[in-house]
Order: sequence, then C-alpha cells, then structure tokens
Amino acid sequence: MITLKINGKTYRTQEGKTVLEIANDEGIIIPTLCYHKDLTPYGGCRLCVVDVKGALRPTTACTLPAEDGMDIQTDTAEIIESRKTVLKLLLSTYYDAGYAANDSRENELIYWSNYYGLDVPSLSAGTPRYAVDSDPNPFVWVDLNKCILCNRCIRACAEIQGRFVWGLSKRGYETHISAGADGTMLEARCESCGACVAYCPTGALDNKMSVGLGTPDKIVTTTCTYCGVGCTIDLNIKDNRIIRVTSNPNGAVNGMHLCVKGRYGFDFVHHKDRLTDPMVREYLLKGSERPAKSDRGNWVKVSWDTALCIVSEKLIQTRDTYGADSIGILTSAKCTNEENYLMNKFARQVIGTNNVDHCARLCHSSTVAGLATVFGSGAMSNTMDDIVKFASSIFIIGSNTTEQHPVFGTRIRQAVLKRNVKLVVADPRKIDITEFAVLHLQHHPGTDIALLNGLMNIILEKGWENKTFIQERTEGFEEFRQNISQYDPITVSEITGVPRELLYEAAEIFAQNHPMAAIWAMGITQHTVGVQNVMTLANLQMLLGNMGVPGGGVNPLRGQNNVQGACDMGGLPNFYPGYQLVTNPEAQKKFEEAWGVPLSSKVGMTVTEMMPAAAEKKIRALYILGENPVMTDPDTNHVRHALEELEFLVLQEIFPSETSQYADVLLPGVSFAEKDGTFTNTERRVQRVRQAIETTINARQDWQITRDLANLILAQGSRKPANAKFAKWEYTHPSEIMDEVNALAPIYGGVTYQRLDRGEQLHWPVPTPDHPGTPILHVNKFSRGLGKFTATHHIPPAELPDHEYPMLLTTGRVLYHWHGGEMTRRSKGLMEIYSKSLIEMNPEDAAHIGINGKRRVRVSSRRGSTEAEVWITDRVPPGVLHANFHFPETATNELTIAALDPIAKIPEYKVCAVRVELIE
Amino acid sequence: MVTETQNKQAVMNAVEAAIKEHGTSREELIPILNDINRKIGYLPQEALEEVSRRLRLAKSQVFAVTTFYRMLSTKPRGRHVIQFCESAPCHVVGGREVWETLQDILKISEDETTPDGKWSLVTTSCLGICGVGPVIVIDDDIYGNVTPEQIPDILARYS
Repeated sequence: MITLKINGKTYRTQEGKTVLEIANDEGIIIPTLCYHKDLTPYGGCRLCVVDVKGALRPTTACTLPAEDGMDIQTDTAEIIESRKTVLKLLLSTYYDAGYAANDSRENELIYWSNYYGLDVPSLSAGTPRYAVDSDPNPFVWVDLNKCILCNRCIRACAEIQGRFVWGLSKRGYETHISAGADGTMLEARCESCGACVAYCPTGALDNKMSVGLGTPDKIVTTTCTYCGVGCTIDLNIKDNRIIRVTSNPNGAVNGMHLCVKGRYGFDFVHHKDRLTDPMVREYLLKGSERPAKSDRGNWVKVSWDTALCIVSEKLIQTRDTYGADSIGILTSAKCTNEENYLMNKFARQVIGTNNVDHCARLCHSSTVAGLATVFGSGAMSNTMDDIVKFASSIFIIGSNTTEQHPVFGTRIRQAVLKRNVKLVVADPRKIDITEFAVLHLQHHPGTDIALLNGLMNIILEKGWENKTFIQERTEGFEEFRQNISQYDPITVSEITGVPRELLYEAAEIFAQNHPMAAIWAMGITQHTVGVQNVMTLANLQMLLGNMGVPGGGVNPLRGQNNVQGACDMGGLPNFYPGYQLVTNPEAQKKFEEAWGVPLSSKVGMTVTEMMPAAAEKKIRALYILGENPVMTDPDTNHVRHALEELEFLVLQEIFPSETSQYADVLLPGVSFAEKDGTFTNTERRVQRVRQAIETTINARQDWQITRDLANLILAQGSRKPANAKFAKWEYTHPSEIMDEVNALAPIYGGVTYQRLDRGEQLHWPVPTPDHPGTPILHVNKFSRGLGKFTATHHIPPAELPDHEYPMLLTTGRVLYHWHGGEMTRRSKGLMEIYSKSLIEMNPEDAAHIGINGKRRVRVSSRRGSTEAEVWITDRVPPGVLHANFHFPETATNELTIAALDPIAKIPEYKVCAVRVELIE
Repeated sequence: MVTETQNKQAVMNAVEAAIKEHGTSREELIPILNDINRKIGYLPQEALEEVSRRLRLAKSQVFAVTTFYRMLSTKPRGRHVIQFCESAPCHVVGGREVWETLQDILKISEDETTPDGKWSLVTTSCLGICGVGPVIVIDDDIYGNVTPEQIPDILARYS
C-alpha cells in the first residue's frame, strides 16, 4: 500500500497504479482524450496533466506511476490554462462538416471544450483539410477532419484486434492516421471489426451504416446471435429499428470488442424478405391431393389459427397412422434455451418420440460423444478468459479461430503478443491464425490421429508425460501406451506429411510450456473418425496433465450462438435436458412423472439418420425449427430426395430458405432482437437475450408457436398427459420455462433470470441457486471418476482422391458469412465485402488446370457438381481445395459425402474427392 | 514489360541485400529502409511490402517510419536530392531567400522532381550545424553559409 495526497486530501491505495487510475477510482475528475482504460497509456494529448510537488513541469497523469508520498494538484489555475491551450490547439485543426454522427456517444473533444468554457464554433477550423468519408470500407466512416491524433484507433487495432491496420504517416502539421501504406482499410487487411470506431473519441471514425441516424430511443443489452463466443452487444433502437450496435464496456466475454458480423451484420433483422405471415400450400386448404415430388403447389397466406390447426391435424394423423417414431423434430441452435427445451418436450411429451436433434450433430456431436466417454462430460472444460490469461502454450487444431470465433481469435493473438504464449497450429490450410504461431504443422486432411499419436509417441520417448497425473487420475494407460508405440515419428511423418523435426519441436513446446490449452472445432470433429479424433486429444491432455487446471483443458469451440444450450436442453435423440440418458430408467421415470406421460426408452434418430429414413419412408413428417438442411447437410441431392419423399414438412423460420421449397407449412418466427430468453455460449456460460424491438409483422415468438401447437395436439390427439407438475403448457414468459428447466436439469438447477439479470456469470453445472457455477470442469476429479485413456487408430477418410476425382475438397466458412448465409447474405455491407463464393486453390494446381485470367470452374464429385470462382492462394497446399457453404449459387454440399462417424453420426464434411474443370 | 520485371527484380535484390546486411529484427527497420532507399532512389510499394513481410511488421508500421523520415521517400526522386534546412536558425540568417532561389532556378517546389529527373527538392529539420546556416545538403555534400548568389555555381558541380 502507498499513501499519497491529491488536492490536499490523503489517499491510501494499492501499488502499481497510475495517478490517473487512482483519481478515477476516487471520483476526482481529470480530463483525458488519448487515454482509454483498455489501451496502453500514451501520454500524447497532454490534457490529463497534473502538478506533482517537486517536479519541474506538469506531468501526464495517465503515464505517471503513483508513488508513496506524492503530493498532486489536479486543478490549479496553471493546469487549467494548460488544458485550455491544448484544447484550443486541437480545435484549430478540427473541422465538423455538420452531419449527425458519432456513434451516439458524446464527442469527447467537444465535451471537454465545453467543460472548460471554450467556444467550439469560433475555435474550430474554418475549412476541411481532408475529404469527409474518405475510405470505401462499407462499415467504417473515416473523416480525418475530426481526428485529433490521439492514436486510440492505432492502439485499438494493435492491442485489441491485433491487425495493425492503422498507423501515423508523415510528420508535423501533415501528420495523419493512415491505413497500411496510405491505402484503403481493406487493402491494409482490415477485418472491419469496428474496434477503431468504438475507441475513437471524436467520431473521426464512425459507423458508416449509422451516420445520420442520430441518437437512439433506448439501448438494450443482449447477446449476439452469431457464434458461440457469446459477445454482449448493445442494440441501439430508434423507432423500433436497430440503428446501430455498440460495444458494452461491461461485456463479460468480449469487453468492448466485437467482430464484423456482431457489430455490423444486424440489418437482416429488418430485411424485406422476412416471413411475414403463416403460409400453407393451396392443396391443404382445398383438401385436394398433394402435388407430387418437389412441386408442392402455391403458397397461401393464412391466419395463425388455420396454420396451427393444419399442422396439429397432420402431425396427429401421421402419428396415428405410422406411429410416433415416424415424426422427426429438428430444433435450432440459433434459438434460445427456453425454445429448445420446449422443442425437446414437444417431441418427447407431446408426440412421444426421441427423434429430436439439431445441427450440433453436424458440428460437435463427435466432441460430445468422445468427451462424455472419456471424461463423463462433453463440453469445453475451461473458459476463454482462463485460456488467454493462464495458458503457457496453446494448441489449435482444426479451428479457424480468427474467422469463426473472431473475438476469441483476437484474444489469442493478444495472448501471443502480450504474454508470449507459444501457439502451435495444426491445420492443412495456412489459416490466418498461423501468422501468430511459433509453429504450423500442415498435416494432410484426415490424418489428425496419426499426428497426435506421433506427438504423444515423442512425449513418451522423452519421458515428458505427467506421471503423477496419469497414476492418480486416469485408467487404461498401458493399453494406450502400447498402441502409441506404433506411431513412431518416421511413420507419422509419412502419413501426415509433417517433417519429423517439426513433430519434435511441437512436442517439446507442449512439454516445456505447461499448461497447454487444446482448442479445436470442425477440423477435428467432421470426420468419420471424429469421435476417435476427440478421444485422441483427450489422451494428449491427460498425458501432459493439462486437465482440471487453469490455462489447460479440452476446448471444443461451439459454432452456433446457442448450440451448447440446444444440447443442454435435450435437443438430442439420446438425452433429456441436462444430459440425462433416455435409456436410463431412472431418468425416464423422472421425466414421466414430470410430464405425466409414458416416454420412449428408445434412442431416437439423428439428423443424419432422419434424412435417409425419410427417403425410405420411415420418417413421414418433419417439424424443423430454424434450420436449412438443403444448404447445410452433406450430399444435397440426397437431402432433396429425402425431403421430396416426406408426406409433411413444417418449417418455422424467419426467412424463406432453400429448404422452404419443400415445406407444406411455413410458420414465421422472430429474430434474436425480438425475443427474451437465454443463450449458453461455448464455455457453458448462460447469458440473457433481451427483446429490443416489437415484431411488426404477423410473426410470433418461437416459444409461443411451439406452445400453441403443443396445446392443440394435446387437446385433439389421443395422447393425454396425466395430472403432473410439468404436464401443462401454460407458459406466459420464457422465465417460466427456465423455472421448469431449473427443476428438471440439475446442471441448470441454479440458473435463474434473477441471477443473470443481476449480472452473475454462471457456467454450468450450477446445481443450486446459491452455487457460483463451474468455470473449469474436471478439477481434482473427472465427471466419470477416472479419465479414460483410449487406444485410437489412424483410419483414412472415407473417400480420398483417385484417378477420376484427383483433388481433395475440404469445406469451411469465412469471416464475413455465417453458415447457410440466410442472415449474412441479407446484410448489405457483408455482401459488399464478400459477395460470392471463392474456392481456394494452390497456384500450382491453378497453373496445372490452365487458369489464366478466367477464374470460373466447375467442381464435381461422385454426388453432384457446382460452379464457383477460384481464389488462387497458398493458403491451401497443392492437391487440396477449400470451399465455403454460404452461397446457394455455389452449393458446396452438392459435393460433400454423407459418410458418417459410426458413433456420433457426424458427416465427413472435411474430406471428399473432387474434379475441377475450367469453364470456358 | 522487360523493364518492369527488371525493375521489380532490382527492388527485390535491394531488399534482399539490405536484409542480408542487417537481419530481420524490427530494430533494423531504419537501416534496411535506408539501404534500399539509397540503392533504388526511393522506397517503392513492393519494397515496403516485402520488408513488412520479411520483418513480420504491419504495412502501417513500415509506412509510418518511411514517411516520418525525410531521408526516406515513397516517390521516385531525381538523381540528386537537395535537402534544405527549414529550421529557425537557418531561416533567420537568410534561409528563406536561399529556398526561394532554389525553387526559382529549378522551377519546382517542395517534394517535387524536375522533369528531366535530375533534381529533387526536399526540406529537412535541423541538421545540427546551425553555426554555418543557411545550410543545404546535396546528396552527401554539405554546404554552409549559403547565399542565393552561390546557388547556380553549386548546382553546376553536379551532372
């Protein structure tokens, strides 16, 4: 502790703070412009100068470390004069063109000028020196006439985003901020995250989409709808429209930071394509025969009553004719926990089937299955914050983190830059995050097990394993060790294509930089050996003793905003909410008593089983909530065929999609901005979603639609629940649904709206209302007791290139788009930056097929073909193509193979064989 | 086309030579840029890009350094570069007249190059020899106590 005087008053405070920080803590006003608490102090604007007794001249408080015995004056006449001079000089080059702007925040220069009684108009520059709106970036507005050279944008880009787009060029009077080599922001590799805008004090950098829209009527704090990181965002609402998204400084996961989609990809909410009314096919109203195959006839707008009656009749009829298991329910990882809980209850209680699943099947089902087997719990073990703060090394394998979980990706960049964390990336592609890695292991697609076993072979060879951890906390080690002995570096190098010396280097980095956090995503899971891949990573983390410790763990990054929650809420064919097995008689009894109906003990069908079952007429009707299987499931031709064979398809959506073409009834739901509820992010943190705008179209809350449908079916159908505590569907607010979840899913036992609204950060398991939550899993003990080592074997992918289809196609996503693109393709700015699908091809291959100016190609596999433009780049190695699945014009999943992992039933999106031809 | 390729090759060779001499640590950025600038006469975009790639520095950072120092240029310069000291000590002993004369004779202003590619005119901050102001530097030659009348003779020494 130190003691110092400020303005004559004595303060005792912690060491290691600056004078400015102490003043801020104590409520003493010191004006600042270049200072921001998130950024390195710079001392450039000289506004925060204070008098220190004994010092020759005034000193900047933001850069002045507080010392014991200091005597400081913050408001002497001289100091005030000095500040006024600084402000006058800044104003002398400040020119306001007069448009309504500035991110709805106060302009800090104007604020302090007024504070010190300066007349801003007369002191401002009379003429502009620069063009207003001088950069073509669709999101960031640049007006250098308002720039005061505070450098906050430069530091934000460097210290938050880690992209270094902004710099200062020239000197003296000509000094100005410039992007890259004085080019455009995008040329300077800007990722349009808007951090520079969020930190700009004057509006020199502003949100282009929102310039002129003025101040909001209200600001609603909610959770972003895009990825599993779960950033807190502030929706600025005016006249019932989102006019901009701003950072909330208290964002639990992200602080002030957001990515391009979260900050700027919100305009889909108000898009003209939104489904406005319930619609049914004409034949349903006329009572006529259903048109065959893909042509379902004309759409007719109907009332909600009509639409819901038709759906309930059809589902009852299907169940009465073919049995409950002829109906499939696809719930949605984009919807709230409460809505997912209802979909699970709808399938199991109302219909009487366990055929409920969702897109987690296509992303992390192998993670859930693999980790549940070896540890007893299938979720991310540590938190993102924990990893970036405490990991000594990070191993990213099969995760394009900076593009798919951008805000976490940038935090990893910062961990590398600021803490010198050793980052190793294993990926067949030279993805963006490899720039920050000490080592990139560019293994062949589909050789992860060989690679990981090879690393573990070296760790054992060198005696680097954590013997205490293995002995005390694991089982199955001997069998595992014998298996590993087959994966010597020579063999592994041959299989993976990774040079031996790099394998040794990687193993040594992990062994010497403990703890290591393992991070993965689809590159690990979307293989026919997905579950084995996950178990192999679990082996590695047990071998090194990285489980249950801060900065370590197994960290699968969940894709959708609420895919973790959709799994937690029982949106899976084998689990009731809270991972209670449907095959466990006790669990069955518990839910039978809760819901008042007999329940099926038979594990239901997965998404990837429902489609073939539909083709074989085992599934007759599907109720799909917010998913677009035609775009996102593998082997589109087969999906289309399956949907054609269905007798009834009801789709609940916000936009018409590629799948709605096959629907009989369309029920318009609402976007995240129009609903209340909770999302659970990738690290098991449950966060509130808050309604910001009223729905003006004839769409309804998704939980209300499911509720009303359930009540109709329960009233009209033969399956009547007995009088039980949770038999009824009388919910009037999502919080009532959460109350039911609290009672039935022990891991959510203490997750209440009251606690969340108080700002409590809850990571499940939260068994009771006074439990603080569990940020790190498996501390001292695994959920299943001992961690289980598994012997895993390299098995090549189901389809590899051959003479006929000589290239390997791997699929993924890009920063600017999201999944099937239903939302991001309806965001104007995102489309401006990335408007069409680009297939990545190595220059060698491009030369080989004779690409010369013309860039359009036809890519074909055994299942279908599609066209796209080629991006010639060394991001991919020779022989490998990468395509995204965001655009229907380039329907990548026409090509992919529906080869499934035998346990998790996840398709092998990451490897199939294709042929490429130039389109003349 | 051939010349363009040759030029590009010359730039890459200059970058290569500078990096060979100084290494790739970021502390060596200024010496590297200086070497390339001397060899090529200025720092073309390709050079900045290659340097930023090799030193693993952002383009914005390389550009900031390049545009801060007057000894470095992002535009082609003439065969001879005249640096005129614009600081106060030179100014008060007749610097302004020297500056005006230079512009009159060469018919260019600050940061420009004569159409024949012979001369470029730039200003610089204090060169530290205020005792002999006004000062101009042509290439590596320093001239002190310069008067407007001397300028034609000084310029005539360069071909």
